[in-house]
Amino acid sequence: MKLIRSKAPQSKNELKFNIPSFDNFKLDNGIQTYFIHKKELPIINLSFILNTGSKSDPANKKGLSNLLSLCIDEGAGNFNALQLAEEFDLRGASYSIHINNDITTLGLQVLSEHFEDTLKLLADIILTPHLNEEDFNRERRKISTRILQLQDEPDYIANSAFEYLLFSKQNAYAYPVSGFPADLSTLNVMDVRNFYNDFFSQGNSAIVIAGSIDKERLKNLLNNNFGRWQNKFRKPGFSNPKIETKNQVFVIDKKNSVQTEIRSGHLTSKRNQDDFFKKLLLNHILGGQFTSRINLNLREKHGYTYGAYSRFNYYKDNAFFYVSTSVSTENTSFAMSEIFSELEGIRKGVTEEELIFAKSSITKKYPSNFETCSHLVSNFINKLLFNLPDDFFNSYIENINNVSLEDVNQTAIKNIHPKNSITILVGNRKELEKQLTSDRFGKVIFLNYDELFV
Amino acid sequence: MELLNLAYQKIILPNGLEVILHRNNNLPLVAVNIWYKVGTAQEKKGKTGLAHLFEHMMFQGSQNVPKEMHFRYIQEAGGTLNGSTSLDRTNYYEKLPSNFLELALWLESDRMGFFLPSLTQEKLDNQKGVVKNERLENYDNQPYGLAWELLITNLYPEHHPYSRPTIGFMKDIENYTIDDVTNFFKTYYAPNNAVLVITGNFEADNTIELVKKYFSDISSNGSAEPMEPQSFLLHSNVEIIHEDNIQLERIYLAWQSDNAYGNDDAALDILSDILSGSKNSRLYKKLVFEKELAQDVSAYQFSGKYGGHFMIVLTAKPGVNLDVLKQEVFTEIENTIKNGILPKELQRSKNGIRSNFIYSLQNVDSLADHLNHYNFYLNEPNSFNFDLNRYNEIDEMMIRKAAEKYLTKPYVELKFIPRK
Repeated sequence: MKLIRSKAPQSKNELKFNIPSFDNFKLDNGIQTYFIHKKELPIINLSFILNTGSKSDPANKKGLSNLLSLCIDEGAGNFNALQLAEEFDLRGASYSIHINNDITTLGLQVLSEHFEDTLKLLADIILTPHLNEEDFNRERRKISTRILQLQDEPDYIANSAFEYLLFSKQNAYAYPVSGFPADLSTLNVMDVRNFYNDFFSQGNSAIVIAGSIDKERLKNLLNNNFGRWQNKFRKPGFSNPKIETKNQVFVIDKKNSVQTEIRSGHLTSKRNQDDFFKKLLLNHILGGQFTSRINLNLREKHGYTYGAYSRFNYYKDNAFFYVSTSVSTENTSFAMSEIFSELEGIRKGVTEEELIFAKSSITKKYPSNFETCSHLVSNFINKLLFNLPDDFFNSYIENINNVSLEDVNQTAIKNIHPKNSITILVGNRKELEKQLTSDRFGKVIFLNYDELFV
Repeated sequence: MELLNLAYQKIILPNGLEVILHRNNNLPLVAVNIWYKVGTAQEKKGKTGLAHLFEHMMFQGSQNVPKEMHFRYIQEAGGTLNGSTSLDRTNYYEKLPSNFLELALWLESDRMGFFLPSLTQEKLDNQKGVVKNERLENYDNQPYGLAWELLITNLYPEHHPYSRPTIGFMKDIENYTIDDVTNFFKTYYAPNNAVLVITGNFEADNTIELVKKYFSDISSNGSAEPMEPQSFLLHSNVEIIHEDNIQLERIYLAWQSDNAYGNDDAALDILSDILSGSKNSRLYKKLVFEKELAQDVSAYQFSGKYGGHFMIVLTAKPGVNLDVLKQEVFTEIENTIKNGILPKELQRSKNGIRSNFIYSLQNVDSLADHLNHYNFYLNEPNSFNFDLNRYNEIDEMMIRKAAEKYLTKPYVELKFIPRK
């Protein structure tokens, strides 16, 4: 029989997939722990999470919490900085510290055979860091130089400028995690120690772990290492006033640029169970994946860019919507026109066909979000950060399927506001001046990078 | 290690397509991964970047798949997909729910066999625009973004397959024609120049039948001439200074070295780790941690089928002269050759490599790509243990000898300095 190629083959049968079950228990001192038992390979992935991030940096000390995260593994327990790293490396463990606006995460991936040893090292770092002056000074010099280096990168300039101008300097979410060299130069080691004493404690901690280990043994090991930790502590505070977005275009000059980095968007309501799934579907259609309206228009139709996307970006206590792309200089204003017309367009509604595609894509892809230990851990970090219900993962597909066309269209009108967007353009000012001759995307303001964070 | 011993089945269709199957039933997922044995290495002068541009064109549809629909079909099924071009090969891959395996086979076979009827000037012009922007975004507009291009064009002689950048020169990108794309397809895209790997959750018998159903009527083709590894001699040092939009100066040093899986390849890999792969590595500890002359340092052994080079890259702290960094590097190389390395340094590297092998088994898609990789370079997909043993067998003397053999020879030195 000759094969008929003109029609796509259909799927064979419905797939059965069970979301991995998890255990939730508390250590002796109350530290909340999520455990997902994954047995196929002798791997364990653990994240120790502290409910403190850069939004808790005091005014004029921007970069303090990040600096602490850089100093904390520079010697702890019986080891100096080099010895500590060597202990991890000799066991083939990969170990990292990550900080964002909201939380600090100490992550460990290790073969099961070395879990006990490396967990002890991790406990040394969290419970008994040295925070020496010499290490502090070296790390401060290093991050200050790193910030200089970041300032050469057009996407870093665009991202940090966008968030700063979007949130305004009154809001703690406005500031780059790594801070400012001017602030860093005024810090001393006591600042870092005080920040540690204020916030690093059992009361601000949680653990997420996935991998091949018996639950009772895990409980014992975690209790032995962390269960007796008792510190006085503060809940982190931060400033989060409501900000109105003004319709403005900021052009940040970067000499000799051959492309323009574009970021355009506005604040939206923070993450909540009520509209999370509606926004997810809306954005999938608008700019969340390769065949979205925005990417097909800017890339596949016009060839203005290598890629363009949009997203709802969620912090714990705030959120924003934005479009992001990088286009050749001469096409900047054409690309802007297309972006704004897509944003206006989505407010007029999506089609039933688009919604069916988005639902199919998201729900059928769901099992692959549980493939590796690190996938599992990052899913549960999200659950903790946003305080998601226990049945979040099990009801996910149902929640997606329950969203109606009317829901998505209402969500677009409520949450996409091109006329109240701010836009950042990082590129060649001379060329952009010629293209931005009207205020049709907002009032145009020209800045140098040095004038940005004042 | 039994964990790394992967059972597989390999068949070759009459048209020359190699098919490799490996089952892994952890999740209801399946990965499809095709390597075409063509990459940047096969390009001709004046047509740089054609292999990569061609990869873009493979996503523009084929006879039974309209533009954009390749993406849409896979995404609608809950899958992910992409492709990539390197010096030696071009790969295309999908990961999707296992009940949609047939969909991926239909799509891959349609573009392997029936690509040309859907090729248009409009699609080519569109993707030339996209690739030009890819070049602008990832190379021309990135700090230090032109380093690779400057290094390889100066290290490898002009006739060598590795003497050009995968993205291509802008002038060449602008000049590709429909004929270029058509001829490239006719020469290199055929079942006898491709290997299909399927990993994940599938039924073996049924899957072989499915592969035959979609691929066996594609005729073998192509007149790809086999290429041989090419050695060359850099007779004297080459020094380049490049002004860029940067604040921190950076120096790149590159020596010709061994090919992928050559006798010294693994020793050079370990040497790179001992020099810069951890906080206690020699150059990091001395120059970043202790003396604070450098902001960062990295060393690595790049190796492919037709050549290889060893690189060391250092970013200077503000005010530090690049020649000071260079001097430190040569002092350390000399020290390594003369005094060797400690057992502990070797152990640290080997343990890290072993862990990474096991971590890499977690994804069915990276597993599929790995099997194709081993099949391409070693003609044996199940080579995880062979590969790990390659590293385990390295001793202190082999590292000293490799350092002496390559890092005392002429080199290319590239300095990035701020634009005046």
